[in-house]
Amino acid sequence: MTSYLIRRLFFGLVTLILITFVIFALVRNMPGTPLTVDLAELDPSRQISQEDLERLENIYGLDKHWSLAYVQWLGNLVTLDMGRSFREKRPVTEVIGERIGPTLVLSVTSLFLAYLLAIPMGLFTTVRSGRMEERALSTFLYMLYSIPSFVAALLLLNLFYVRLEGTVFQLPLGGMMSMNYTELSFTGRIWDRFMHMILPVFCATYGSLAYYSRFVKSNMEEVIRQDYIRTARAKGVGSVRLIWHHAFRNTMIPFVTLMGLTLPGLLSGFVILESVFTWPGMGLLFLDSITNRDYPTIMGLTLMFSVLTLLGQLLADILYAFVDPRVTYS
Amino acid sequence: MSKPPVAEMKASMPPLNEAGQTTASRGFWAESWQRFRRRKLAMSALFFVAFLALTAVLSPAIVGTKPIMVRYKGNIYFPAMSYFNPRWENEIFFRDGFRMHYSENLKAKDPRSWAIWPLIYQDPYRRVREGEWPGHPGNESYMPPNRHNLFGTTHPGVDVFAQMVHGTRIALLVGIVATGIAAVIGIIVGALAGFFRGAVDMVLSRIIEMVMCIPVLVLILALLAVLDTPTIWHLMVVLGATGWTGIARLTRGEFLRLGQMEYVSAARALGFGRLRVMFRHILPNSLAPVLVPISFGIAAAILIESGLSFLGFGAPPPNPSWGTLLNAGRSNLQMWWLILFPGIAIFLTVLCYNLIGEGIQEATDPKLQQGRK
Repeated sequence: MTSYLIRRLFFGLVTLILITFVIFALVRNMPGTPLTVDLAELDPSRQISQEDLERLENIYGLDKHWSLAYVQWLGNLVTLDMGRSFREKRPVTEVIGERIGPTLVLSVTSLFLAYLLAIPMGLFTTVRSGRMEERALSTFLYMLYSIPSFVAALLLLNLFYVRLEGTVFQLPLGGMMSMNYTELSFTGRIWDRFMHMILPVFCATYGSLAYYSRFVKSNMEEVIRQDYIRTARAKGVGSVRLIWHHAFRNTMIPFVTLMGLTLPGLLSGFVILESVFTWPGMGLLFLDSITNRDYPTIMGLTLMFSVLTLLGQLLADILYAFVDPRVTYS
Repeated sequence: MSKPPVAEMKASMPPLNEAGQTTASRGFWAESWQRFRRRKLAMSALFFVAFLALTAVLSPAIVGTKPIMVRYKGNIYFPAMSYFNPRWENEIFFRDGFRMHYSENLKAKDPRSWAIWPLIYQDPYRRVREGEWPGHPGNESYMPPNRHNLFGTTHPGVDVFAQMVHGTRIALLVGIVATGIAAVIGIIVGALAGFFRGAVDMVLSRIIEMVMCIPVLVLILALLAVLDTPTIWHLMVVLGATGWTGIARLTRGEFLRLGQMEYVSAARALGFGRLRVMFRHILPNSLAPVLVPISFGIAAAILIESGLSFLGFGAPPPNPSWGTLLNAGRSNLQMWWLILFPGIAIFLTVLCYNLIGEGIQEATDPKLQQGRK
């Protein structure tokens, strides 16, 4: 197990270096630098002089060839220094750290809701397999699964923001809190947050709901045909206990793997949704940093997303050996 | 599933001819096709995709402002073809200063000319002005659906229906080309890893794992930003170059399994070359499970393309894409027709490819059929 772990970690490190190298090269070769992008927004009369531009490029290390800059970036990374954001003029770790919270609020709530609803639905569709109500629910979930979240988000905004404007059902356009948030009472604040969360959480949840419940169903269908289920039934085990205790518990292995694989999605899965709802999370930060050519932030986010993906896969494999004694890596 | 058991049994028995002798039983693919055809949902999905493909091919004939066929100064031309590729516009129309406006110029410059026009006179790239076409009042900006603009118009008065019909081309092309590239890479890598095993497998598996870790969205956005003029083709290549890992893993697994079979040993013993064994003997038998992720992959590629266009990172603006329309709808939330129609189009297309994938899975996977009996 230990040697397996070491080998995996080694390959993970190589992968990380390769990925960051490629992305670094691409990012540094994008047309425009953070300095020129910033300048384009200013009026032409206040153009920066050539000497000043060169001085700034020197300070930010933009005058070096990108491969040298990459080595420098890697070197700084060893000391846990990801550089300073051009845009925010603060350390990248600080900028990213601020955005983790909002994204986690969105993703953890939606993941929790999805599991809470998907497991009963999956079990229900297994028990009622082939009947009218199961067909109806499965078809409905399948259709939900195929609606792109940004389409749903726009339609819901059209309904709840535009059409229901002025009624009690109106929901906010985006963001995490209203403008007058600081003036609100404590319960008012909670209510305000709740109202802002309804649409983003709904859009983030409905698709995975269908996915997870189908996942539960397909695993259950395999288990439910096993001999030990028939034995349990023959022994007179009640149907609820049979499904929950004897069958569902035995589908936990693929479930655990799935959980490991959803780990990276917790922080990077909602780029488009965050952009629609201007939710101040990692996804929005990523899009903003690309348009602003904020190299250090892009690299910091890329590194984080890749590390999480690698960790998720590793975690899935380790958990796999942990819950299933038949699996060993020695 | 409620299926007539008699039909099931008949299908599984070798068919008898009139003399009562058994004829050759149908092959795997014919058998699978039979099973696929019985699934109504999958079949209607297949028909819908065929309908979309037809729309894409015939888009210049359905809606456009360029004649499908025209006789001008004694020659026959097909100006509508330039919707597929702007370079196919015949240069005589440039020389005579048509500037994309055929309806007024044709009669003015050659009174004896005649033309066959598309079904609906609207353009996916520009607004149709007043007096351009008899009885057409000209497009206004932000018109809700009406008699002349079936699905309404966008800000510069461009017809939404025209953009959607012409956008079908991009949606289908992205899905098929991107997944095609992914399938070719995935099948080759998976086949090599599964066939040669050992060190080759080790190296290729590590590569598969590496590619799986690439944050695709980061790569696409960075790459599209690097290119001076990103086109839809670049997007397809990136999607294809990153989306092959699932297919490779499946192919590898199938090759590992089939490589153990007696018929493969027999083929080798007969002295067939490695390539022949790989591609003639193993590949056809491992293709069925690989078709499933391909179908799902097409759906995913269409989703990513529309998502990128929606964010404003997709194909450059003049290209009509469903996602671009959604992008316009995003800043004009009250204009529901900019959201609803392209939204439905993306939804139906994705749904159909998913249903087809599901149908293939159930039709070709022997495990699932045993479960049904």
